[in-house]
Amino acid sequence: MPESIPKAAVLLEAAVKYLETELMPTLAGYHRFQTRVTVNVLNTLRRELELRGVQADAERSRLVAMLGHDGDVETLSVELAERIRAGAISIDDPALRAHVRQSLADALAINNPKWLTR
Amino acid sequence: MSSEDFIAHLQAAVARHIGEPGTIHDLQRLTGGANKTTWSFDADVAGDHAQFILQLASARANVADNPLAGVSPHLTADEDARLMIAAVKAGVPAPRVRAILQPDDGLGGGYVTERVAGETLATKILRDERFAGARDTMAKQCGSILAAIHRIPVAEVPFLMRLTPAEHIAAQRRIIEYFGFHLPALELGLKWAEKNVPRNARHSVVHGDFRAGNFIVREDGIRCVLDWEIGQSGDPMQDLGWVCVKTWRFGGKKPVGGFGTREDLFEAYEKASGQSVDPAHVRFWEAYGSVRWGIGCLSMGLRGMEEVGIERCAIGRRIEEPLWDFFNLIEGRD
Repeated sequence: MPESIPKAAVLLEAAVKYLETELMPTLAGYHRFQTRVTVNVLNTLRRELELRGVQADAERSRLVAMLGHDGDVETLSVELAERIRAGAISIDDPALRAHVRQSLADALAINNPKWLTR
Repeated sequence: MSSEDFIAHLQAAVARHIGEPGTIHDLQRLTGGANKTTWSFDADVAGDHAQFILQLASARANVADNPLAGVSPHLTADEDARLMIAAVKAGVPAPRVRAILQPDDGLGGGYVTERVAGETLATKILRDERFAGARDTMAKQCGSILAAIHRIPVAEVPFLMRLTPAEHIAAQRRIIEYFGFHLPALELGLKWAEKNVPRNARHSVVHGDFRAGNFIVREDGIRCVLDWEIGQSGDPMQDLGWVCVKTWRFGGKKPVGGFGTREDLFEAYEKASGQSVDPAHVRFWEAYGSVRWGIGCLSMGLRGMEEVGIERCAIGRRIEEPLWDFFNLIEGRD
């Protein structure tokens, strides 16, 4: 079956547009704040849909190179975390540092891009 | 309890503990957190019209079956009030406690303090022109206030949880193990903390959440330090590092809370305490504080999932911000 239209990103954009330009101006206090948070959450989703696929492929490749075997990105990431905890990989390892830095930058590009330039 | 009943109980408590007749005016709920709710009210007491704050422990905070209870410091309302009383006695600008609620007050755990006028919103304190003078003096004030907090005799507050720096890190480990959350960046942060843990820590009362957002500020500077509920005893340098954590700069550029310099903070602390400050020791707590706040975001996000609350869920997505700051800090890029 072809992908349903309008695409998810367009639906989210429409929801954000309604909340921001029509609903928010009518609100104050608690509900205005909660609606602002909701808009932020929907924008995060929009960025995740756009960016996460490419990011996850690159993350998986880095993990495979570091751990020396194949797997899905979530499982490999948990394995890396366990190796760090067990001391099996040094926290000063340049490949580890570069990987963790890139993963954090990727997540911030989705969750709060402004933080990267603060 | 209906709001009429609530006001009647509060009036009776105020009359009993503070002064007759205790008539309540202008009762307003300010915030309702997971652990407590905060109310503001005025009352007629002993011929005076006075301004108060009421803090009530929420029912949830009393649930004893929290699997993480006792892992990290959390004071009961009663202990919180007793710590503030000891702080005021030591010369700290802390809220003045006027009543500690008793079981027969029928309101649950809580206390009443005098209300201090001023601004608590960090973004306003950092940006409004009228606080320009306050911003110039606040880092120095933080130094002298922290010296006073660290002078509170530990024996006066024996209920405080004592944590060495190593125990602090172990407690954070237990929290992430409980959640079963395995993130390489967090593991790296905790491992770094374990390798760099300070070995020459003194032992004193520690506020635990000393930062903008928990200060009442007026044009002339900090008037009151709030939120004593994670008070603990341990390494006093923890408080100096926490106030420098980037999250608590609220977008401000200067390292101490967005408003001041480390030099001002350290100098004022040394002068008031007679203890020298090792900047590298404080930096450990700043870096570790970022990791700890990352874990704070994680646990709020996971609790947000349980109750499907939008605000807490959104905080969960902020875990990378302090971890990013941590990396910049340990790699000298801050």
